Amino acid sequence: MISKTLMGAALAVALAATSALAQDFPNKPIQLMVAFPPGGSTDIGARVVAAIAEKAIGQPIIVVNKGGAGGQVGWTELSRQKPDGYYIGFLNLPATNTAILDPERQAIFDTKSFTPIINQVLDPGVIWVRADSPYKTMQDIIDAGKKAPGTIRAATTGIMSDDHLAILMVEEAAPGATYRLVHLDGGAPMMKETLAGNIDVAFDNVGSIVKQVQSGQVRAIAVLDPQRSKFLPDVPTSKEAGYPTVVMNSTRGIAGPKNMDPKVVAKLQEVLKKAMEDPDHIKKLEDVGLAINVMVGADYQKYYDNMHATAKKYYEWAKSRPQK
Amino acid sequence: MKLGWLIATVCLVCLFGFTMWLGIWGFAPLNSRPLAMKDALGPGPGFFPFWLAAIGISLGVLLLIEVYRGPAEKPDTASLIPERAAAFRIIAIVVLLAAAAFALEPLGFRVTAFVFIALTSLALGLVSPVAITISSLLGSVGVFHVFYQWLKVPLPVGPYDYVLKPLGL
Amino acid sequence: METLDHFLAGLSAAMSLQNLAFALAGCILGTLVGVLPGVGPAAGTAILIPLTFNLDPAGAIIMLSAIYYGAMYGGTITSVLLNVPGEAASVITCIDGYQMARNGRGGAALGIAAIGSFIGGTFAVLALVVVAAPLASLALKFGPPEFFALMLFGLCLVTGLAGRSLVAGILMTVVGLLIAMIGIDPVRGAPRFTFGVPDLYDGLGFIPVVMGLFGVAEIMATAEKPYREVIKTNLKNILPSREEWNASIGPIIRGTGLGFFLGLIPGVGSIIPTFMSYVMEKRLSKTPERFGSGAIEGVAGPETANNAYANAAMVPLLTLGIPSSPTIAVLMGAFIINGLTPGPFLFVEKPVLVWTIIASFFIGNVMLLILNLPLVGFWAKILEVPWQYVCVGTLLFCILGAYSINQSVFDVWIMLGFGVIGYLLRKLDFPLAPAILGLILGPQLEKSLRTSLEMSAGDFTIFLTRPITLTLLILSAVVLIVTALNLAPKQIREASDD
Repeated sequence: MISKTLMGAALAVALAATSALAQDFPNKPIQLMVAFPPGGSTDIGARVVAAIAEKAIGQPIIVVNKGGAGGQVGWTELSRQKPDGYYIGFLNLPATNTAILDPERQAIFDTKSFTPIINQVLDPGVIWVRADSPYKTMQDIIDAGKKAPGTIRAATTGIMSDDHLAILMVEEAAPGATYRLVHLDGGAPMMKETLAGNIDVAFDNVGSIVKQVQSGQVRAIAVLDPQRSKFLPDVPTSKEAGYPTVVMNSTRGIAGPKNMDPKVVAKLQEVLKKAMEDPDHIKKLEDVGLAINVMVGADYQKYYDNMHATAKKYYEWAKSRPQK
Repeated sequence: MKLGWLIATVCLVCLFGFTMWLGIWGFAPLNSRPLAMKDALGPGPGFFPFWLAAIGISLGVLLLIEVYRGPAEKPDTASLIPERAAAFRIIAIVVLLAAAAFALEPLGFRVTAFVFIALTSLALGLVSPVAITISSLLGSVGVFHVFYQWLKVPLPVGPYDYVLKPLGL
Repeated sequence: METLDHFLAGLSAAMSLQNLAFALAGCILGTLVGVLPGVGPAAGTAILIPLTFNLDPAGAIIMLSAIYYGAMYGGTITSVLLNVPGEAASVITCIDGYQMARNGRGGAALGIAAIGSFIGGTFAVLALVVVAAPLASLALKFGPPEFFALMLFGLCLVTGLAGRSLVAGILMTVVGLLIAMIGIDPVRGAPRFTFGVPDLYDGLGFIPVVMGLFGVAEIMATAEKPYREVIKTNLKNILPSREEWNASIGPIIRGTGLGFFLGLIPGVGSIIPTFMSYVMEKRLSKTPERFGSGAIEGVAGPETANNAYANAAMVPLLTLGIPSSPTIAVLMGAFIINGLTPGPFLFVEKPVLVWTIIASFFIGNVMLLILNLPLVGFWAKILEVPWQYVCVGTLLFCILGAYSINQSVFDVWIMLGFGVIGYLLRKLDFPLAPAILGLILGPQLEKSLRTSLEMSAGDFTIFLTRPITLTLLILSAVVLIVTALNLAPKQIREASDD
């Protein structure tokens, strides 16, 4: 009896302690992890939302870049943090899913290691080449892949990233066409290597290349989405090019480690949603070609689960594909 | 000198050997899995460490031969082992640093630094109690104020904050 | 023209009150690090990183680079007054500088060193402004094979020029590279050498390792053999006489050019320019016999070369992302902590930031001249602080710094462990610079090798069919062969690193 009362009291104290902690959240700077090096589109979006949200939340939000291993370094870091809300970070679906799916990566996190908070951006995939490349249409690239299988150097932004899955989708949609996969460390190195001529075809997302398309440095071949992108209105979709199954996108959303206090999550959702709907945020993201798609809580969780199923399918496929 | 080199090189070669055995080929009880030299997606995670360790082992063996066949020990071998008083200071530094690492989070920065500075000063041969007290206070509370309060560098506060804070420390 | 705009924008940003304050603080702390024997520039810069945690990236880098070249100035004072080099690049200054102090011309030695350093440093920054942008855009055309070969070349130079035994040098490089393997594989994402210990997933922290290998190990060495009394010298006449000035002008001009060009080559450490300048001045002198007994040319040339080098060595760091010495590797670590990756892309991504940092070098050089000429007496006083306080203070900052980078006691243990290892390796004369550079370049070296092989579908001939790559690989082999045949000057190989 006594012990029960004691336990109750202890529980009450503990609860009071946690809610007290949640009450004065945040009382120190919040770190916002980006699992890619600076300069990529996740980084750009993170810095914009951080700058707006930190005014509302009253504490600095510091963007921390933890690039490497297609994001795994950063997500490992995120999953290992205390779930106190002071360390949150961007999940890049489906790259996070594939890191979980591949047993060889020995990821120490799984789908349940994170608390999805809010999605910021849905960025369709795009195939692009250097401005002076001989490839003008998606068909040119597929023909080249069929003519000389395994020699066209196609870059991804990391193993099992959405770009990697997109190449697999192209290979699936056009049997016989295969590419030589080169996995780079994100959008910035990909731009550098492609412009330097070390890469023939790059698979990335619309947001990473809008500026360079407009300046004429690179040419977008196809947007891997059912609809044309408002940022690249002249670029045909994969559907228009005759490959409707090649649809890939990457989303960037904010999550925390698992077991976060719901009150802290709610506070973050409120502040971040407001920041993402801020005209300044919308303008700055659209300026760099990032399509905003805010999904909060359950919606984001659902998208997360669906993406995991798609990624699983292509992951199995990638395992059986010989590298040549 | 020569003996020192031989021992150091043997240690290095063993290190590389262990690296290969544990890290690359895996050793389940220590929770390490074998790393692939090559996988379906290109050169694997074991590729670079394997060649590094291989180069390391061969160089280590080469160095062993070089040292073994090299000139005999020079008279400066004696300088390799520090004299008594110096050895005491060095060991004191290592022990006190280890103690500080143990104490840092449980006791907080201020208490740890105070004791660390006082004991290290004594071990290195300072005797004036006034000077030691002043420098310990400056190094613990002073540094804490500058780094934690002013520069916002995260330092462990420790369990005695409720005593130290009201005292203005 | 765009570069000029960026440079002007950077200059005005560097002139902001805040950044001026950071540069001044860095210069003072750096001189202090240089003056205090027993704390080298690599350890000094590393332990002061926590000071910059709360600064914006530009401020942090401005302050840390000011610490770096401040230490280069400060080291001279210790060499002249104590005959103990404050840092390795001042080893050569001990020879004639200390003799000048004993002849009562210590003030002039310090004065000419400060003036020469200022001239060398300023011209090197001017030249840096001119060459940096073209070099960075050239480097943008480099692919993974070229970067792999370039890093290998840098590592070969560091290895070949450090320490008595080439085999030991390569061994230490390999040790550094292997330590860098700990953590998550940068390409495939598999954890390596972590043994399920979560603290190892991010790898061993670079800064704690440097603090251990340099900071703690140096203090242990000082505790073993405390340094001696300061020489009392006349510090009133810090301006050199007309005669001394005439003798110095040639060495200063030659030192500037020499230091700058050697600084451009990735992997040339900081002692080489000073040594080469000394030898050159001795050869050119009509009275070479004066060298060794207080020739001012023997101070002016090497000190100028040293500072021209120190500023020029920022070129390979900023344009290629390759550090030449452990201290610059620490600066590179500071860039990375601040979310910046030094390399050609930085000029494209953050031009104003890069140019702000470069512009701050100018300001820093002026500040150091002011700090050094009139205040030299003050710095000499610092030397009278008992060595015990220096040791205790450095150790305290090592604990503070190692802990606060990730708020992890694990990092303090890493620092302590590497301190003991560093002390033992130092006693045995194993060079440490190659290990540090291997450690910081390891991840990129592996990544560029593996990306190259992905590009060629596993075919190693990719390294032989690209002209730049092939040239660099041949040069690397030449460096190793030359060192293996003991052709490099003995003094360079025997001087201690950092």
